[in-house]
Amino acid sequence: MPVLHRKLIRDLVASVGTLLTVIAIMGIGTGAYVGLGTSQRILEESRADYYRQYRFADFWISLKKAPRSAAERLAAWPEVASLRTRVVFDVLLDVPDAARPVTGRLLSVPSTGYAQSINGIHLQRGAGFSEDRDEEVILSEAFARAHGIEVGDRLHLVLNRRRQAFTVVGTCISPEYVYLVRGPGDLIPDPTRFGVLYVKERYAREVLDFKDACNEITGQLTPRGRRQVEEFLARADRLLSPYGVLDLVPRSRQASHSFLHDELSGLAVSATVMPGIFLAVAALVLNILMLRLARRQRTTVGTLKALGYSDLQVTLHFLGFGVVVGLLGGLCGCGIGLGLAAAMIRMYRQFFEFPSFAYSVQPDLMLIGLLVSVAFGALGALRGVLAVLRLQPAEAMRPTPPERGGRIALERLGWLWRRLGFRTHLALRSVFRNRVRSLTGVFSAALATAIMFMALVMYDSFVYLVDFQFEQVVRSDVDLGMRDEASRAALLDARQLPGVQRAEPLLGVTCDLRHGYRSRRLAITGLSAGHSLTAPRASDGAPIRIPSTGLVLTRKLAELLDVRVGDLVELRPVRGRRTVRRVPVTGEVDSYLGLDAYADLEYLAGLLGESSALNSLQFRVDPGAQADLFRAVRSLPVAQGMNVMADTRANIARTLVETSVVSIGVMIVFAGVIAFGSTLNSALIEIGDRVRELSTLRVLGYGPAEVAGILVRQGLLVFLAGLLLAFPLGYLMVSGLARAYDKELYRLPLVIRFDTVLQTIGLASGFMLLAQVIVYRQVRSLDWLEGIKVKE
Amino acid sequence: MSETDPILRLEGAGRTFRMGEVEVTALAEADLAIRSGEFLAILGPSGSGKSTLLNLVGGTDRPTTGHVWFGDTDLAAMRDHELTLYRRRVVGFIFQFYNLVPTLTAEENVQVATELVGDPLAPAAALELVGLSSRASHFPAQLSGGEQQRVAIARAIAKRPRILLADEPTGALDLVTARQVLSILQGLNRREGLTILLITHNPALADIAGRVVRLASGRLADTRENPNPIDASDVTW
Repeated sequence: MPVLHRKLIRDLVASVGTLLTVIAIMGIGTGAYVGLGTSQRILEESRADYYRQYRFADFWISLKKAPRSAAERLAAWPEVASLRTRVVFDVLLDVPDAARPVTGRLLSVPSTGYAQSINGIHLQRGAGFSEDRDEEVILSEAFARAHGIEVGDRLHLVLNRRRQAFTVVGTCISPEYVYLVRGPGDLIPDPTRFGVLYVKERYAREVLDFKDACNEITGQLTPRGRRQVEEFLARADRLLSPYGVLDLVPRSRQASHSFLHDELSGLAVSATVMPGIFLAVAALVLNILMLRLARRQRTTVGTLKALGYSDLQVTLHFLGFGVVVGLLGGLCGCGIGLGLAAAMIRMYRQFFEFPSFAYSVQPDLMLIGLLVSVAFGALGALRGVLAVLRLQPAEAMRPTPPERGGRIALERLGWLWRRLGFRTHLALRSVFRNRVRSLTGVFSAALATAIMFMALVMYDSFVYLVDFQFEQVVRSDVDLGMRDEASRAALLDARQLPGVQRAEPLLGVTCDLRHGYRSRRLAITGLSAGHSLTAPRASDGAPIRIPSTGLVLTRKLAELLDVRVGDLVELRPVRGRRTVRRVPVTGEVDSYLGLDAYADLEYLAGLLGESSALNSLQFRVDPGAQADLFRAVRSLPVAQGMNVMADTRANIARTLVETSVVSIGVMIVFAGVIAFGSTLNSALIEIGDRVRELSTLRVLGYGPAEVAGILVRQGLLVFLAGLLLAFPLGYLMVSGLARAYDKELYRLPLVIRFDTVLQTIGLASGFMLLAQVIVYRQVRSLDWLEGIKVKE
Repeated sequence: MSETDPILRLEGAGRTFRMGEVEVTALAEADLAIRSGEFLAILGPSGSGKSTLLNLVGGTDRPTTGHVWFGDTDLAAMRDHELTLYRRRVVGFIFQFYNLVPTLTAEENVQVATELVGDPLAPAAALELVGLSSRASHFPAQLSGGEQQRVAIARAIAKRPRILLADEPTGALDLVTARQVLSILQGLNRREGLTILLITHNPALADIAGRVVRLASGRLADTRENPNPIDASDVTW
């Protein structure tokens, strides 16, 4: 081994304490890249394979009822590669173990070849449909697992007002329900409350009165059609409008796909931003170490040059420090990344269902991570290397010019300065004289604290979102969907159900809302006068009364349609008479999930040309009588779906605890490494540079705590300056995040509480103080008798 | 040792430094020929321009005026990489404070030089020449000042340089140790015919050289031939 390499290794070993922190920060950066990148790739590849193999559709058109001939006309269009018609119904299930009725979505599938059909299903357990019986059902795997249903069990369904027993012949997963949610309003899958049931095509049509008809068309497009999917759907809407087009969904808006897509794009962003931040900080800290190394090895550099080492050789030698540090950081990072990816894939398995979703090592990502880490290491070493390079051998031989002495600006404030004591003087002078070092410290502290702040604010925002949507806006205990629109009489009947303390009607009407060229199809919710179980709210949380005329839109919807209160929008129901009306926007409310619009129930019914219709009910229920209500609902023929809000809240809260707390915890620890590492690093450098000064103080009779106090003061000054910057920086980060997550599916409210600020300061101070403990131990173990002999 | 061909020739070589607004002349235009195989002492008080002259000869600096001829090439006109090659192949440096790499052993410090050239002395052989074979695996911190300087000499000669430049080599040593170090230098000159340029502020040391050039305030004050140099072991101050 060339002797300079040996020197390099020994120099590295000698400064291992300071380098470890850089290596740790680099390791986290590379780890984030490898871990997030690996998760992203595995998720993406699993999705692509799954979609291709099971022919995931490009569009869904849900209809009131359309004849087969209509679908055949659509199938003949050149951009349609293939399509399939089916029957889709939400049903109430009688699951033996469940205390409450469960909502299921019934989908018809071909009795043979269901794996190869569009939106094919992948059988997990069981043998699938037989030829003997019609009453067979295949359940979504997660749903069966959640309820302990085994293949061979029997299940009762109420179909077309007839209660029928089905035999479970298999469990399956499907590309349509990788993320098992009912629709865009659902945030988190809950297989105890929602599952998909696949029944034989022919049988479903017969039982549900859809002979030669369907209520959903789904299909795949040619590559050209895929590029113009919105335009295709608009034309399909015109073709199929006589049959009541309830919804037109391109793949990009399909609920499961959207969640998966958002997760993937979030991963892609994190896999760039996180490593960027950590590697940049590591490079900054390394930069300081290298400048110091260059200063300390000034004579060695001169000697090497005088001996005849070329600039290139000396450069490569010093660059070697950065490269080795980058390499070590990169290797740690690969390890961290593998662990992170394995943990993330484990977490994703709870939410996403794929036929094959296995963790695998991605050597190329590890190699790239390693190279990037090495590049940042070299970047961090660059200024030190340039300092070495600029050094002329003759100049390097001369003793180092004395460090800049003199006064700092603060000393002009005599009365303040005199009050501070000499140890604070030493700390202040050192902070102001080593500007690059201090600024790096300030920046690292600010960044670390800002990341912690962001993590905590994200948690608060999530909690706020859940509270806003599921406590403040929806205030009911149980929501009950009805099969068809019912009259006021149904409401009166419902009030007689056991345990019901209050019942309010809702009318959901799917409409096209258009303003200029912008349009959206969504269900407008009609609320009765005096409603209290659904309480739309403004951004500040104040409830908004729904006026007797006009529409109240949620902020995001108004933004998408580009309308303000007072503007007129075109409203066209997708079924019934489908007359276009121009209605005023009379209010705006906030919402963080999906897109909503509200209107007075009577007003909405009037627009449809009906009077006092309703299609779902909201209940406030006496907690003691819930079981009675559930029993009663099960035998209610008009009931189609039921939602127990307490379960929804509990599920979301549980998931929030399970996943957010972990990821936020990881983020805080990662940021803590920056705060801890950069503080410790500059203190260790300080000790190294000032051995003689600190030793002299010890000889004079100062105790280790008093000497360490100088360094602690210095660290504290830098940390406090960092804190001042941290919150503006943190605010920029969270508002950026809120902007990034301002999507149709969900939005992140920006919730900044004063105690979150305090918590952040507490956390960041904790990491900083931890570093100071080590500083104190270093000072205590300082060999000060040797230290006073050190030549400076 | 009576070769008279100059190995190096300063021709009106001067060096000025800019210190802010003022221009300081470290070395006024100097003419000097260094003969191959001679032991030349440059004597002068601190600030007289000794080190500047050494830097010009050693290729660690360039003159601002005049020329430094090595054979028929002018160091003043050399580019950086040519100067590097010059230092690598022609010159051996010995410094007042030894300038050993603290994290390398004695032998490894010599290797730092030997790895640079094609046909070096073996590091062990170089250490033997300075009587330090037994200390080869010691780190600088484990060696006395004299021993460190001997390692530095071993490092300088291991490259088989054409000229050895010693800048106050005994400046940090006591008399007894200084004699050892000087004896090694004198031996190298006498036995191997190595050209040596010794820079010192101590007149007592100059007596071991065959020729003494005195510098004062950046100028060559006088040159004295010393046909009968004393033995290094007889040096005293």
